[in-house]
Amino acid sequence: MSTGTTTVAAPPAVSVHGLHKRYGPLEVLRSVDLDVAAGETVCVIGRSGSGKSTLLKCLNLLEPPTSGEIRIGGSAITGAGVAVDAVRARAGMVFQHFNLFPHMSVLKNVTVALRHVHGFDKDAAEAAAMTQLERFGLAGLAHQRPGRLSGGQQQRVAIARALAMEPEVMLFDEATSALDPELVKDVLDVMRTLAASGMTMLAVTHEIAFAREVADRVVFMDEGRVAESGPAHSTLDHPQTARLREFLARVL
Amino acid sequence: MDDFLHTFFDPDEILGVLPALLTEGLRNTLLIAVLAIVFGAVGGVLLAMLLLSRHRLVRLPARLYVDVFRGLPAIVTVSLVGVGLPAAGLRPFGREPLGYAVLAIALISAAYSAEIFRSGIQAVPAGQLHAARSLGMPYLTAMRVVVVPQGVRNVLPALAGQFIIDIKESALVYLLGLGFGQRELYFIAQERQAATYNSSALVAAGLCYLLVTIPLTYAVNWLDKRMRDGRRVTAAPLAAAPEKAVV
Repeated sequence: MSTGTTTVAAPPAVSVHGLHKRYGPLEVLRSVDLDVAAGETVCVIGRSGSGKSTLLKCLNLLEPPTSGEIRIGGSAITGAGVAVDAVRARAGMVFQHFNLFPHMSVLKNVTVALRHVHGFDKDAAEAAAMTQLERFGLAGLAHQRPGRLSGGQQQRVAIARALAMEPEVMLFDEATSALDPELVKDVLDVMRTLAASGMTMLAVTHEIAFAREVADRVVFMDEGRVAESGPAHSTLDHPQTARLREFLARVL
Repeated sequence: MDDFLHTFFDPDEILGVLPALLTEGLRNTLLIAVLAIVFGAVGGVLLAMLLLSRHRLVRLPARLYVDVFRGLPAIVTVSLVGVGLPAAGLRPFGREPLGYAVLAIALISAAYSAEIFRSGIQAVPAGQLHAARSLGMPYLTAMRVVVVPQGVRNVLPALAGQFIIDIKESALVYLLGLGFGQRELYFIAQERQAATYNSSALVAAGLCYLLVTIPLTYAVNWLDKRMRDGRRVTAAPLAAAPEKAVV
C-alpha cells in the first residue's frame, strides 16, 4: 500500500464518509462510513433492501448521493463541479445482468469505451481489449455477439470490458446472482484471480463461501447502515451482532 | 367488360406512357422519396431524443412540433410549404418544386418517425445506459453509440411503414405544378389520364409504386432479421466454441 520511500500512508482507494441516500421519504443509506485500502477485497453482504447495491451505485455516481463524502484514490467525487464521467472511468462496474451491448461484437463491447472515453485509436483499443479477453479465455469469442454466449461467458466479457478501462477500483453488483449454478464458478474464479492480482475490489455478493475465502474484509449492511465489519473469517465465523447471526443462519 | 379492360389495362396506353414513367417519373419520385426519408429519419431521431429529455423546456417544443405535423393533412403541409413559402418571399429552393416537396414530406415524416424512434429507444433496457455511463461515456455519447442504435433496431419494421408513406406522399408534389423533367410518376400518369380519359397510365404508375414499396418492405424485414441474429461471422456453431480454462 505504501510506496516504500514515502512516510505518509497512501490514502484509501475508496473512502466513504457519512453517506446518505434518500428516495423521497425512503432512506436507503443512513450515514455509511467505509474505507477500502488499495489492493483490498471487501465483500458487502446483507439482506435485499439493506442498501448494499445502492451503496455500490453511489460509488460511481450512477445514483447521486443525497449527502456525505466519497473519495476515490484520495480525491473527492462528491460535491459540486465533479467531472462525473471521469469518476466513472476510475471505478469499473459489473452488473447482475451483465448489460453487455447486444448490437456489438464481444470485441467491440470492450473497445467502445476505450475509443470514446480514453480516445484510443482502433488498433490500440483492439490490442488492449484482446489482452483482457485472452486473460479470461475469451479471445475465441471476440467476434461473436453477446447473445450467443452463455451467462458465465457474458459476465466474464463484462468484467474484461470494465478492466480494459484500467479502473482503480472494481465494483461488483451481485455479479453471479443471475447465473445458472454451474456457471457461477467461472465468474467467481475470475474474481478470485483478480483479487489475487492486487485489484481493489468491492463486491456485493450472496456467495458467503466466496466472501470467506477471497475477501480481506466483510461488511454487513442492515437497514442502510454498516452493522458490522471486520476480517472475513472472524466476522463470518464469530458474528458480534444478532442481526448478522440471524442473516448468516438464514443464508448458510 | 371490354370497357373495363380498355379503361384500366389498355396495352397501347401502358406501353406508350411507360418510357416516360420509367425514365423521368420513377427517377423524380425516388429523388423526392429518398431525400425525404433520409432527412425525415435524421430529424425523427433528433426529435425523439428531445422528446425523451428530462427537461420540460426541451420536451415541450418537440412535442408541439410532433403534434402539429402529425395532425395536419399532408396535402395542407405540402401546400403551405410549396405554395405558401415562395409566396411569402421565402424561396430556399428557387422555383424548383421538388425541393419544396422534399422539405414538406420530410417535415411530416420527421414527426411520425419521432414517435416511432421514441418508443424504440424507450424499449431499450435502462441497464444499457447504466453500463455505458459506468464506463465513463457522457450521456450523449452513450445515447449515440449504445442506446439509439438499439432503439432504431427495435423499430425497423415500423419504420419501413413510414418509408412507404413517404414514397406515396411524394405524389402530392403535383399540387405545385411540374415542368418537363420535373414530373414524377403520378403527375405523368394523371396528365395522360386527363388527356385521354383513360386510366391505364395510372395503373402503370401504380405498378411502378408497388415496384418500389413491396421490395422495400422485404428488404427492411431481411435487414431486421439479420440484425437480430447477428451477422454470421463464422460458420462454426458457437455453443461448441472452445471454453478455455479461466486465466
